[in-house]
Amino acid sequence: MADTNAPKPSSSVKLVLLGEAAVGKSSLVLRFVNNDFQENKEPTIGAAFLTQKCNLPTRTIKFEIWDTAGQERFASLAPMYYRNAQAALVVYDLTKPTSLIKAKHWVAELQRQASPGIVIALVGNKLDLTSDSTGSAEVSGDGDDNAEDSGDARKISTEEAKTYAEEEGLLFFETSAKTGHNVTEVFTAIANAIPETSLKSARGPGASHAGVSRTEEQRVNLNGPRDPNAKEACAC
Amino acid sequence: MLNLSSFVQKAQQLLDPTQGLNLTDSDKNPSKASLFQSQFRLPDSQHPLYEITAELTIPPSNVTQGGKDQDRGFHYAGKLHLSEQYLCFSTTPSSFLQSASTSTSSAFTGQTHGGGPSGNGFTFPLSSIRRVERLHSQNFQFALAITTWNGISQDAPKETKDKKEVREQRITIQLAGTRVACERFCDGLKKGLRAAVGHVGKLKKVIGECYSEYLLRPEEQKSANPPDAGLGMIFRYPGDPKKLRDRAKMRLWAEYLRDNGRNVTLIRQPTFHKLIRVGLPNRLRGEIWELTSGSIYLRLENPTLYADTLAKHVGKESLAIDEIEKDLNRSLPEYPGFQSEEGIGRLRRVLTAYSWVNADVGYCQAMNIVVAALLIYMSEAQAFFLLSTLCDRLVPGYYSTTMYGTLLDQKVFESLVERTMPILWEHLVKCDVQLSVVSLPWFLSLYINSMPLVFAFRVLDVFFVEGPKVLFQVGLAILRINGEELLDAADDGAFISVLKNYFARLDESAHPKSENPKLRAVTRFQELMVVAFKEFSGITHSTITELRLKNKDAVLNNIESFAKRTAIRNLGPESKLLSTQELGAVYDRFYGVLYERQQRDLLIKQEEVRRARNNRISRIGQAVDEGNVEKGRVGLGPSTSLMDYDAFREFLAGIAKWAVSDSPTQSRRDTGSSNGGGFYNSFRKNESSMSPWGNGPEPADHEFLRRLFSKWDFDSSSALTLQNVVTGLARIKGKRDIMGTINYFFELHDDDGDGKVDREGILRMSEALLFLSRRGLEGALDRATAPNGMMTEGMVTPGNDVPDQSINERFLGSVSAFIRRCFEYADPDHPTNQNSQQPAQQQTASPQEDNLIAIDDDDAAAGLADPDAFAIGDDDDDFDEENDDDLLAMESPTASPRLAKRPDTATSSLQPPSSLHLDTSTGPSSMSNNDEDHRRRVSRQQSEKANIALDPNNPLHITLPTFRMVVLADELLEQFFESSFPCSFHLIEGINMCSSGGNSSGNNAGSSSSYGGVGGALGNTFSNIGFFGGGAGAGGNNQQGGGGGVAGAGRGLRGVLDNIVTDGMRVAAEVRRRMEEAQRELEKNAMQAGQQRAGANRDDEDDDEDDGGPVEGLSLGGNGGGGGSAAGSVSERRGGVRSSDRDLLTGADAEASDPTAEAQLQHGAGEASGIAGGNGGAGSVTTAKVVGVEFDG
Repeated sequence: MADTNAPKPSSSVKLVLLGEAAVGKSSLVLRFVNNDFQENKEPTIGAAFLTQKCNLPTRTIKFEIWDTAGQERFASLAPMYYRNAQAALVVYDLTKPTSLIKAKHWVAELQRQASPGIVIALVGNKLDLTSDSTGSAEVSGDGDDNAEDSGDARKISTEEAKTYAEEEGLLFFETSAKTGHNVTEVFTAIANAIPETSLKSARGPGASHAGVSRTEEQRVNLNGPRDPNAKEACAC
Repeated sequence: MLNLSSFVQKAQQLLDPTQGLNLTDSDKNPSKASLFQSQFRLPDSQHPLYEITAELTIPPSNVTQGGKDQDRGFHYAGKLHLSEQYLCFSTTPSSFLQSASTSTSSAFTGQTHGGGPSGNGFTFPLSSIRRVERLHSQNFQFALAITTWNGISQDAPKETKDKKEVREQRITIQLAGTRVACERFCDGLKKGLRAAVGHVGKLKKVIGECYSEYLLRPEEQKSANPPDAGLGMIFRYPGDPKKLRDRAKMRLWAEYLRDNGRNVTLIRQPTFHKLIRVGLPNRLRGEIWELTSGSIYLRLENPTLYADTLAKHVGKESLAIDEIEKDLNRSLPEYPGFQSEEGIGRLRRVLTAYSWVNADVGYCQAMNIVVAALLIYMSEAQAFFLLSTLCDRLVPGYYSTTMYGTLLDQKVFESLVERTMPILWEHLVKCDVQLSVVSLPWFLSLYINSMPLVFAFRVLDVFFVEGPKVLFQVGLAILRINGEELLDAADDGAFISVLKNYFARLDESAHPKSENPKLRAVTRFQELMVVAFKEFSGITHSTITELRLKNKDAVLNNIESFAKRTAIRNLGPESKLLSTQELGAVYDRFYGVLYERQQRDLLIKQEEVRRARNNRISRIGQAVDEGNVEKGRVGLGPSTSLMDYDAFREFLAGIAKWAVSDSPTQSRRDTGSSNGGGFYNSFRKNESSMSPWGNGPEPADHEFLRRLFSKWDFDSSSALTLQNVVTGLARIKGKRDIMGTINYFFELHDDDGDGKVDREGILRMSEALLFLSRRGLEGALDRATAPNGMMTEGMVTPGNDVPDQSINERFLGSVSAFIRRCFEYADPDHPTNQNSQQPAQQQTASPQEDNLIAIDDDDAAAGLADPDAFAIGDDDDDFDEENDDDLLAMESPTASPRLAKRPDTATSSLQPPSSLHLDTSTGPSSMSNNDEDHRRRVSRQQSEKANIALDPNNPLHITLPTFRMVVLADELLEQFFESSFPCSFHLIEGINMCSSGGNSSGNNAGSSSSYGGVGGALGNTFSNIGFFGGGAGAGGNNQQGGGGGVAGAGRGLRGVLDNIVTDGMRVAAEVRRRMEEAQRELEKNAMQAGQQRAGANRDDEDDDEDDGGPVEGLSLGGNGGGGGSAAGSVSERRGGVRSSDRDLLTGADAEASDPTAEAQLQHGAGEASGIAGGNGGAGSVTTAKVVGVEFDG
């Protein structure tokens, strides 16, 4: 799969985004993958899947991003998506205190249920709505209806979230998907935080085989389907 | 004696919550009614009443064409079914009689060969039937000629002139059965038709919104405004109409509808299903969806529901509405209709209206996409009802709060893949690709989000006729077609991109390199349909049902453990005071109680319905949804997560001994019915499950419970969430510090939160203490304080007689001392505060008056209570009548006459104090004199102080510090707050009231009766009787009995205080005697209680005797009336249709056949154009004489 003969070693990392509805998970991904911001994105049904490469000095990380649906009832589907994930982005909305609570729930869930050693980043999004926003002036014209008149809609202080993140051993960032502030940094930090060892055995059992044996397998598989297919067709 | 087995069973259920909760009968053996409903897509209100084998004859269509070879018409053998409001015919040989086997009832779940579960035939609302005539046939058979209201909307003005256009739809049905069966059926039909006359107006309104009415209208009559056929009429329908051959399809449909009836009067013939497979024409799509899914019948049932719902909730807000708003702008944004306010407005209204009618589901993402798609083809109201049908029938549980349906179907899909494509499956497992990450959106959004819209709608066309299996067939076909590429994909990403690619190229040729132009013309989508319905034709409804059943447990358990994990983790910081284990137990119990209560409610309701039905023989609209027995299980989406007061009591009764009622009225009363004579013979075996408390111990009702409830109910919503319960428990049990508990107890009684508890409150506190301790104290009690050195350690089991008693008695003393001290150290109220702080009653009533009031209250309470409230201590078997008298006697204004009027109650507490003394000698007393002396002294002291304190002219209160001091002054009270109160909540292990059998119950009742006895003897009141009756719910649902009993208990204690001077020795003796006696009496009591209740239920029970279905007399006659083979020749009789149109239909077959054979398929309608088999079946029917009823309403 990813074993191209690129100058730098490349490996895939499965990353899952979790967080309350409408905190901007999809927007973060869109910014990271396409460097774009969209007003009306189709709602995420189950989860959306995107990929993006992240170039580090020593290696290339290919993120396989699972962007999950935020609606509460989709939560029971989440285990399906964070299964085997090596990294997680738990997103909350800086202007919405309940979203941090939800984020904490997700962190706890991941710590207990996800694969051990998962790298978790806590991300407070919508920095553009706060007064300390650094880049709100740069991007305009999106007409974000969330924009507050008074300027500072921040409800969760940096300190509070940071303290929590430190307690739990999480990476911590405040971002704005709208302005793009800090977005790439989050992913780069995650890429750096993924231990080399976990990259080797990155994927499931299928990926742990050496290159040669895999091609063999595939050859077998390629031959396989035709005969049984034909047989089954008759049986039906 | 409280039937041990039921407790064991319950305990097992608690240990293993999956056991006994799952897979109800309705799951494994769905009711005949629900099978009937799903076969004909009828609303839940319809039940199979009569059925009979019959042959349907459809006359040749002589209006649109004069084909000579069609003269014989079409014949179908099948079954005719009658429900309350529908007459259905189907060629699928299914039977829904009560006597029918499950296999015949679910015959439709087999292969339907494209015909959908309802097969060929019709589903007529009775209101659409204009006339039924009984034809005399030659061979003594019953034959009915049915004329429908087909075309009702257009024959009004110039009947004569239009006669040619609007042909009366008239079909003939020959009944094949015994004469009796036929008569029965006809009688039923007659009744139904009569009742349906009134609905014709409704019918007109409903079909007025159907596009077919407009389509079939002659050109000159077409009004300017055709019925709403969706947003497509304004914003165009997706896809290129030319490419879709929309006009040709429309012509074919117009012809079909003209010949076979439109909307509700449509008759399904093989062409119908073929026409659907080639894709519906845009403007008729909505209507046919509505028809095939059955949502039109829902609309017919309540045509204004949509508008009414919107009107009723106008301006209201809800969580669902917030969620809907977020998604409105992103539902099929590529369709121009949803970039406009018009389209978004429609979407908003439909989703909102649905979230109101089905609040349990509310709004789920993906619904927006589905509804948006529906709205392109149908009106708002149509979409609304179709959404209901989707959520309830077609994809149940998909959009529920736990989405269990979605998860379940993913499991089903996975096992189908494993079964049909083992190599691919192996590959997926090897590469650790989870199939559902790909397929879940397919199912959840019915492929609308995955395929280009035009193709998704084609899938939907078939899906609505044939049901959910279509989703699986299509899904499997997708994987099969892409099998090779998928085998190359080694991870999720590759897997997804293969399929994404595939979907994007569905309109391309499936065989681009083929030499054969015909083969080249086959698109990938056509190939997909062929693979889905040919290769996977083995995937039937029953396959899906079976697999759903098989996987259901695992899926629900997964969801439940996830939900539990999440819920527990998400409980507030206070929950940390309890251990995870305790939290888990609380969680299980909380939802367990809610679940069980719902089950019981449902059973009770069903029982009522059953009775009602038996009463009135047949045709009663049933309110209970029989298929829904499982409501309430967490995994299914909690239909409630709120605990009301009764549920709270039940919850506590599972974890705390003191919360269990003293008089277990709900024990098996079947045994007690022996002397009940004929009245009890009809007792049902399941009677016990009909009790409002099920098999569990009956919870007590006491003011303390109410206080606890409102204390835990932070936001005064009269309902507790799990969070409330956990917080409440954590505050009592979690801290384990005595001061905390004392404070808590004080706060519980400090109504206005001013830090003071007045006289009334002090009394309530002591009542609560007695209430809590009446089954003995638990926790670590100090040995040293025990005078006899027999103090128990750890938990005191009720069966442990001696130490239990001594502690109880000592505790009684402690409480007395508590009251005394409270009054002793109480602060006088400031005069100005008096008004606000003293309850009115206190200010005016002297102790005596108080007592009177108490009695009066008690009367009221006793009135509500079950008569067997008096059963305790009564050893007379024939006391029923007298007992009733007593109830009346209680109403006399003074206390003393009542004493005399109670000859029936043998308990000495109810007799004048003087006789008490005598009784003590008879009762076996093991109490030491020492103790009695002590008690006497205490009582004296108490009385002196208390009498002063009770003077209402000296209002007073105690503060928290005083309270604390008083509590700490008494060692036993201190221990009570230190450990026994917190320990009395057995969160994990629960309580098992039955562990020591009758002995323990007897003892429990004994110890509790002792307190009642104290009050009764000293106070010269009989209010303690009420205490005995506590919780004695009168038969059926009445739960007020408990309330009455508690009030009595309270008054009894009041009596103690008022007459505190009475000799303490007598009290003690009485306590002892009563305990012994109660123990002895308990069995008897239970029996009498049973009798009492049985008596109360007599009327109800009577109804039970007459059981047996109204329809059971119907027997199945013959095996179909021969007749022509079902397949009529289709292609031959389409003279009016252009030949190009016919090609299209040929295409239908092409699609349904193997791709390789495709090229050769040049000829007509393929294999379906069978030989017209009608061999003069109609000939036997002569229309000589019309006997039938005619309804021209």
